Amino acid sequence: MGAFGIDDILARHVGQEQSLIEILHDIQLRFRHLPQETLAEVAGHCGVPLSRVYSVATFYTAFSFTKKGDTVCRICMGTACHVKGAQLIREEAEKVLGIGAGRTTSDGKYSLEVVNCVGACAMAPVVIVNEAYHGKFKPVELKKLLGRGE
Amino acid sequence: MKQTLATLPVLRAKLKEERSKLRCIMVCCGTGCRARGGMQVADAIRDELSAAGLAGSVPVELTRTGCHGWCEQGPIVTFEPEGVFYTQVKPEKAKEIVASFQSGEPVSKLLFRDTKTKRSIVTYHEIPFYSKQTRWAMRNVGRISPTEIGQYIARDGYKALEKVLSGMTPEDVISEVEKAGLRGRGGGGFDAGRKWRSCRKAKGDVKYLICNGDEGDPGAFMDRSIMEADPHGVLEGMIIAAYAIGAREGFIYVRQEYPLAVEHLGMAIASARENGLLGENILGTGFSFDIRIARGGGAFVCGESSALMRSIEGKPGEPRAKYVHATDRGLFDRPTVLNNVETFINVPLILDRGAAWFAALGTDGSKGTKAFSVVGKVNHNGLIEVPMGMSLKELIFDVAGGIPKGRTFKAVQTGGPSGGCLPEALLDLPVDFDSLTEAGSMMGSGGLIVMDDRNCMVDVARYFIHFLVEESCGKCVPCRDGLKQLLEILARITKGQGREDDLDKIDSLCFVLTEGSLCALGKSAANPVLSTVRHFREEYEQHIKDHFCRAGVCRDLCRYEITDACTGCTLCAKACPVECIAGDRKQVHVIDQSKCTRCGSCFDVCNFGAVEVRSAR
Amino acid sequence: MIRLTIDGRRVESRNGEYLLTLARRAGIEIPTLCHHEAVEPAGACRLCMVEITRPQWNGWSKLVTACLYPAEEGLIVKTSTERVLRTRREVLELLLARSPRAEAVRRLAAQYGILEPKYAVDQEGDNCILCDICTRVCATHVTGAISRVNRGVAKKVATPFDEASDVCVGCMACARSCPTDAIAFSQDGATRAIWGKTFEVVPCTVCGAPTVTREQARWMAQRKGVAEEDFYVCDVCKVAKTGLSCRKVMW
Repeated sequence: MGAFGIDDILARHVGQEQSLIEILHDIQLRFRHLPQETLAEVAGHCGVPLSRVYSVATFYTAFSFTKKGDTVCRICMGTACHVKGAQLIREEAEKVLGIGAGRTTSDGKYSLEVVNCVGACAMAPVVIVNEAYHGKFKPVELKKLLGRGE
Repeated sequence: MKQTLATLPVLRAKLKEERSKLRCIMVCCGTGCRARGGMQVADAIRDELSAAGLAGSVPVELTRTGCHGWCEQGPIVTFEPEGVFYTQVKPEKAKEIVASFQSGEPVSKLLFRDTKTKRSIVTYHEIPFYSKQTRWAMRNVGRISPTEIGQYIARDGYKALEKVLSGMTPEDVISEVEKAGLRGRGGGGFDAGRKWRSCRKAKGDVKYLICNGDEGDPGAFMDRSIMEADPHGVLEGMIIAAYAIGAREGFIYVRQEYPLAVEHLGMAIASARENGLLGENILGTGFSFDIRIARGGGAFVCGESSALMRSIEGKPGEPRAKYVHATDRGLFDRPTVLNNVETFINVPLILDRGAAWFAALGTDGSKGTKAFSVVGKVNHNGLIEVPMGMSLKELIFDVAGGIPKGRTFKAVQTGGPSGGCLPEALLDLPVDFDSLTEAGSMMGSGGLIVMDDRNCMVDVARYFIHFLVEESCGKCVPCRDGLKQLLEILARITKGQGREDDLDKIDSLCFVLTEGSLCALGKSAANPVLSTVRHFREEYEQHIKDHFCRAGVCRDLCRYEITDACTGCTLCAKACPVECIAGDRKQVHVIDQSKCTRCGSCFDVCNFGAVEVRSAR
Repeated sequence: MIRLTIDGRRVESRNGEYLLTLARRAGIEIPTLCHHEAVEPAGACRLCMVEITRPQWNGWSKLVTACLYPAEEGLIVKTSTERVLRTRREVLELLLARSPRAEAVRRLAAQYGILEPKYAVDQEGDNCILCDICTRVCATHVTGAISRVNRGVAKKVATPFDEASDVCVGCMACARSCPTDAIAFSQDGATRAIWGKTFEVVPCTVCGAPTVTREQARWMAQRKGVAEEDFYVCDVCKVAKTGLSCRKVMW
């Protein structure tokens, strides 16, 4: 019995290296980050050294060791969005939230991320707040969207 | 219920009969339409239908389809079989839509309006965006509910599989695919039949089949659309391929940025198993094959086949040298065939309609159709499927409606970060595997990003190299350290700090990337730079020598000024995010250069051409 | 037997050998920085590029890494064409800009006529060129205490979370196999420090010279099924005692 509340996740996946990424996805989804102490348990379950789990966890951008904010704002930086001014949206978001991309506000409320294309190119530029997509986005709409109006 | 070779045709005939009597309201609930409230529209229409006493009573059906590929017009509602096509539908319009469904009178406000002819068009058959397309890979996209296997079966789904398992040998299947001339749609354009044959011949009892649904090219989303809208088509192609190569286990690798595709594929796999189309003893023939979904972790490099295989194995996605082919030693070091989504969805067509039918489409070297994602500065952003060999000009100007706002075409970027930018002079090029490669770009997975005179080609090159720096796995020196150097130089040029010898250094870096990199990501990483230097060299020189970005993108190299052509309409002042434009109504406006951030909003809104881009000096 | 030519010389090979092995056997020098006999090749440094062709390719040729390309019948391999040399020089330029102080890089670059790097030098650049020999050695032969971390330009070699590793046995295999001396360690008498962890090096029970760390002895004892104490005898004393080299037991 593990101490970190991931027993059910581990039980769903066979104890092999090939389950590693799927297990990390499930942990990330539950905790909004990978709690450091869970990684050794994952390594034990999959029968690989901890360094291997750490290697995988740091290679893929889907995983993070710091907890994501309650609201995750993702700015798509795909090519279609880029040619339609995604950079201006990114700058506005950094200004509105007061944090750089890849960061979380100190109150833990917002995370700002940039992603390389979400496949919603026909409605570029796109901003995704949690699971909701917002297309043909204008920088001025950000404040309202994030509930940070003056 | 598990189907067999004997029961499946009976079921299909019954479903066809039932569905032929139906009238359907189809609401697009793909990622794009959902973003604009597609699900709410569907719910509102459902409520209206039941209020009107039509719900559930045959012959009316409300279908939530997958992505049509024309997200900018979404949410899209269509009536079948009539083909009535409503765009940008809001839930409040449900009542009018249901009334129109009953009366046959179209709701004119919701119809698509052709900006060229200023006409409203009732059915999608008459809209150029659709009428000029030949949708075979996307045959079911937007026409069925992706979560109902019956709707797929009724549209001749699993008929090819039935035919294959009714007496064709694996050898027959491979020959048919070879004769069709099917080339991989993922980028390389390798002959699919040949790949299958090598794998079939390879030694070993355990073989794997992989569907690459990673679609990492920014600006391309045809595979997302297909996986979301027609998941069974992908499965059927895979099952046939597995039979041909002798695989019992397969994987679909889907990028995690596509949650809806993962959901629909998962549902499709479950229902295919329930119906005896996947798993043990498929259709009672003794052939067994099963599929699992592997989610990506947000790494572009995993679109490269050897990196993708490492990712399925639970490792970091670092590519391997391909001196030994995957068909001999691939996933878990076993013989493996990997094709992408669009390649697999063509397979049932080839087996059902025959190699000759398929080979009649397209050009000599590139058979069949190809789905393109035409986005950027065009009037109609969306997915366009046409026979291979259509010219870029036709695709961009006829099907996608040309460049908006009266601006001029500058370049089209094809093939994602591995491809290049092509200028107007090359617009007559036919779009097929070989022509684009010869021109210094590549077809890639089919993303076409159209750019106008407001896009800076140096900035575009910098954008792609920045993208690749973030996405390089970091294993080999040229890609990891070479891209970093290349980005530094390009970033410097866009900031007005370019040097005389920068173009020579760029040339050297492109050489070592192309010659020295380990995988296709690095080997092709120079293309966005090489192609822009080749076709837009004067723009680079203007940045370096004159410190001027004529597109008004590189902020250190331009400023905006309002000329006497200003009518004082105040549009620019309203659009300015930092409120640095002053002027009274009907008076020439002035930009306060000390506050201006050079975002170009004023330029883009001005209807009189009164805002000009000038050198910052 | 597979027959091919390297720089015009006829060479023969059994199955599965790589071009680099064959070339070196024939006395042909090909530079490498990420190759190590103890581990599988990686193809990371790109220095061992050679040009291959065949008569039926009609003049077409391609560059491949000799460390990973298996011998093939009838192959024509050239190790120092202009294309090969230019690629190698450009790779060295990049390595020199990355790790300007790494002796192995400087020496090799100088051999290819590069004394000053033409690209922007990373002033903070350490000596690690990410050849990955250390991580491969550790994962293959020891406990896998270190691994490649992050990706792309941020890639580095590290222990998990940059903390002292539970499984590192302080064997020094990583530091000893590093071609650029990039792995920091210290040894002060019987105290050894590496990767943020301190070890006690046990003195030889016969002569008192340093042998191995307690952790390494324990790990090897467990793996080989022998007594931990067997490892606390230094090489010299072991030879004196048994006439056998203890190297066979250890590495």
